[in-house]
Amino acid sequence: MLGARGLVVLLAVLALAPLVLPPFFLQLLTEIAIIGLFATSFNLLMGYGGMVSFGHAAYFALGAYAAALLVRKGGVPMLLALPVAPLVAAVGALAFGFFIVRLSHTYFAMLSLAFGQIVYTVIFKWKALTGGDDGLLDVWPPSYLKSPAAYYYFALAVVGLALWALAAIVDSPFGYALKAVRENPRRARYIGVNVRRHQLLAFVISGLFSGLAGGLFAFYNGSVFPDFAYFTKSFEPLVVALLGGVQAFGGPLVGAFAFKVLEWLISRQWPVYWPLFLGSVVILVIVVLPQGFVGLFGRRPWARSAGSS
Amino acid sequence: MDLITQLFPWITNGPLITVQVMSGLSVGMFLFLVSVGMSLIFGVTRIVNLAHGSFYMVGAYLMVSLVEVLPDRPWAFWVALLVAPLGVAALGGVIEVGLLRLIYLRDPLMQLILTFGLILVISTLVLLAWGPDNKSVSRPEALAGSVSIVGQPFPSYYLLVLGLAPVVAVALWLIFYRTRWGMLIRAATVDREMLGALGVNVALLYTQVFVFGSWLAGLGGALAAPTVAVALGMDGDVLTTAFVVVVIGGLGSFAGTFISALLVGLLQSFGILIFPAVSIVLLFAIMAVVLIVRPWGLLGRPEA
Amino acid sequence: MRGWPIGSMRCVSALFVLSIGIAAAGPAAAQGKPIRIGEINSYSGLATVYTFPYREGIQMAVKEINDAGGVLGRPLEFIFRDDKLKPDEAVKAARELVGQEKVDFLAGCISSGVGLAISAYAKEAKTLYFATHCQTSRLTWDDGHRYVAHTTNNVNQYIRALAKKAAAMPYKKWAHISPDYEYGHNVWEEFNAYLKQLKPDVQVVQQNWPKLGETDHSSYITALLQSGAEAMLSVVWGAQEIAFVKQARPFGLFDKIKLVSASVGNPDELDPLGKEAPVGAMTPGFAWYDEGMQKRHPKLAEWVKKYEERVKKEPTLGASWGYASTYLIAEAIKRAKSADTERVITALGEGYEMEFPWGKVIMRGCDQQAIPPQWTGFVKMNAQGKPVLADIEETHGKDLVKSCDEVAKLRAAAAEKKK
Repeated sequence: MLGARGLVVLLAVLALAPLVLPPFFLQLLTEIAIIGLFATSFNLLMGYGGMVSFGHAAYFALGAYAAALLVRKGGVPMLLALPVAPLVAAVGALAFGFFIVRLSHTYFAMLSLAFGQIVYTVIFKWKALTGGDDGLLDVWPPSYLKSPAAYYYFALAVVGLALWALAAIVDSPFGYALKAVRENPRRARYIGVNVRRHQLLAFVISGLFSGLAGGLFAFYNGSVFPDFAYFTKSFEPLVVALLGGVQAFGGPLVGAFAFKVLEWLISRQWPVYWPLFLGSVVILVIVVLPQGFVGLFGRRPWARSAGSS
Repeated sequence: MDLITQLFPWITNGPLITVQVMSGLSVGMFLFLVSVGMSLIFGVTRIVNLAHGSFYMVGAYLMVSLVEVLPDRPWAFWVALLVAPLGVAALGGVIEVGLLRLIYLRDPLMQLILTFGLILVISTLVLLAWGPDNKSVSRPEALAGSVSIVGQPFPSYYLLVLGLAPVVAVALWLIFYRTRWGMLIRAATVDREMLGALGVNVALLYTQVFVFGSWLAGLGGALAAPTVAVALGMDGDVLTTAFVVVVIGGLGSFAGTFISALLVGLLQSFGILIFPAVSIVLLFAIMAVVLIVRPWGLLGRPEA
Repeated sequence: MRGWPIGSMRCVSALFVLSIGIAAAGPAAAQGKPIRIGEINSYSGLATVYTFPYREGIQMAVKEINDAGGVLGRPLEFIFRDDKLKPDEAVKAARELVGQEKVDFLAGCISSGVGLAISAYAKEAKTLYFATHCQTSRLTWDDGHRYVAHTTNNVNQYIRALAKKAAAMPYKKWAHISPDYEYGHNVWEEFNAYLKQLKPDVQVVQQNWPKLGETDHSSYITALLQSGAEAMLSVVWGAQEIAFVKQARPFGLFDKIKLVSASVGNPDELDPLGKEAPVGAMTPGFAWYDEGMQKRHPKLAEWVKKYEERVKKEPTLGASWGYASTYLIAEAIKRAKSADTERVITALGEGYEMEFPWGKVIMRGCDQQAIPPQWTGFVKMNAQGKPVLADIEETHGKDLVKSCDEVAKLRAAAAEKKK
């Protein structure tokens, strides 16, 4: 098992990385961390809650645009704008989730997709506020956080804290109740768990951290665009989580690393073939590796719960 | 009444309304042909086949190749129209047997995600096979012109669609309600385990349904080819609309798909006259409302 | 499955080391200190119909330049990256090219959103970015800055050429059909403004804004038929315009209303349309096959022949853009006598002109915007029954484009809005 010692080693490696790695790799790691957070919060719903959402990009985008709008139109400094991102996303998740969690399974997925596309269309068309398909540009962090190494540490710290919070949630009574709901909603109801409320709360928490990832991404990228809310972006955390393994807490992070590195390696050499490769990997993972990469090599390394297979 | 005429100046324009209704109906019929395969596959196998748009696209591209290869005679178009969907059906069969069968005991959502992977694979293969250039198929000579309806020109080709779609709908109804195979299909939608216990080869049934649904998608693509550009990206264009249509009509109910296709077609026709600014959001908003209020759609069956 | 406790960590670490190894190996492959240009464009998916010929144009120019001794004695090298039509992927590619591959300059774009995103990054990273295939005028005007240059015409130029000819026609009642996104609005506004400026009695009787990628336009067509318009501007492009034209013909739309189109003259639209092409439509286009063009530009036929031998296909406007962009970039470096960013920007700021097989392209100093010739013609069927452009009128962008003063005003207004 990875355990405490392994975790310390990993943290040390990450902390010392800027001394060894060129700036582009720090940026790649930053992006991996952000997408890893997005995928992990998505997996709170999928792996732990048993609910698959196809519209999660909406909350990512809400977070990104909230932060960007505050900085560009409100003149608010980044450190004050960033915390608003998860809050706005959470409000959106609450508003949409209220309706979405009342459905299950395929219909849950489809309604989440519909709401996701509505958010995309509103961002796209409300040009006066969001800039439409021109996006919002010049959304940079303050000068002391702008260098690749500085933003790397900052993002890593924020993501680390968020993951720590998510891990705590997963291990808490709420987390256990959520897993019980996933396994057998009727039985959970019989033992007094308010199924709907748990699912909605999970949805909101998932949306909140997705929004935080979105906010971090806005400043990493320097601009925000409507396609942050498009359904193809919604598939990213899904593919990443599947790739890494949805039954382990650390699965989505491993998946994010593998996905981003593969994407970079393949797209630079054979851009035409990247969609083919990605599609094949998705198919392969579903058919051959139901546990994802993590499952390929034995027990989940960072399993914090005895999630059943 | 005056207010209405002011807001909608076209409302007293009889010919305009007639033609808009006719074009809305023909759009609706097209949508029906394109979407009914997806509805059918879901109804039986509970898989939402996201690769449906890709099958539509392959049907259109096969149409292009067939018309190129066949001699330039009036019958070439009709032969191509017959053959292209068969090619797509074959593709569907290969995918079902080779991939979907491997995981069909699993969660249908996993199968849905697999079909998403298929979209990426098929779109790249199409680019590699046919190249990046836009392609086109011409309407057959007999249907290239227009007829006059209330003094307005109306494309003859759309009459083909207006005629064909109800024929397909009736044929589907006959198949599902008047043949043994159709009865098995309907039984499978209600309780596939029981059906298997009764000795029916449910796996084979699933393959047949998937092949049939793919054939329908290919037919939609082949029929659409003369009216649009056959180009990369056409898979995405049709997928979202087909998806909305089947959800509103009710996944698995092809009568529901028929009605909802007509509604969506008419909505698109009049939407641009009434709500030009919000017509895109409108479709997804309606889909959301239907899912919230009546998830199984207009004529679908509530999940057991 | 037991007995592999840290297997996945090993695998992941191996992947990590491998990727660093590959990355480190990358830049070392170049010999003789080439001048490296990182080009970001859409090389997968549906934009490839435009970007593949465009890239051929670049590669043809690079070969010519390097065979002739390179730029300042150094070979020119293009490194291509795919932006997957997403602005954030483009920024990521830009970061890799600048930070890791250590390119001297950035280039490329086809989508305006991507161009603007790369431009914003280039300003931050103080790297010079040459926007190429994308057309928004905001690149060098409203959002312009010293670290961005535009090597092809922008919307303003070719639409004004079109509007000018439209103003000369007797039509007063106009309608349009434009895709509902930035480019569509940009083109219509430019056309409308210039047309009204030249012909104040013009009346816009109907506006149609289908979504980008709309497949069925019947309702718009019937609405247009009832609109009372005498002429219309079509801003829909590519596959969407092919669909629109094919759908409109049996309605007899173009018999009733004169079609003016922003792009139907391009081969990616004309060739598939074939017999269904809208004969008589007025549109811009690169009609290299036209006799008049070849007479005015004696070197054109030779260039086309060279391209066809190389690529085994006919050239497109995009191919000429790739070719011209490469030479314009090389010229800026030559004039700066250095590949140093600041010196090249100074050279750009002084402006220069270059002769191409199709005419003179001016690189204007005040906004670092290229100004090429403009051609507007009419769709006709040639003797082989293939649709082509004919009756080409050639003008030059310099007589049409907004002046340096107007640009300065635009930049000031945009800066105000940002505050």
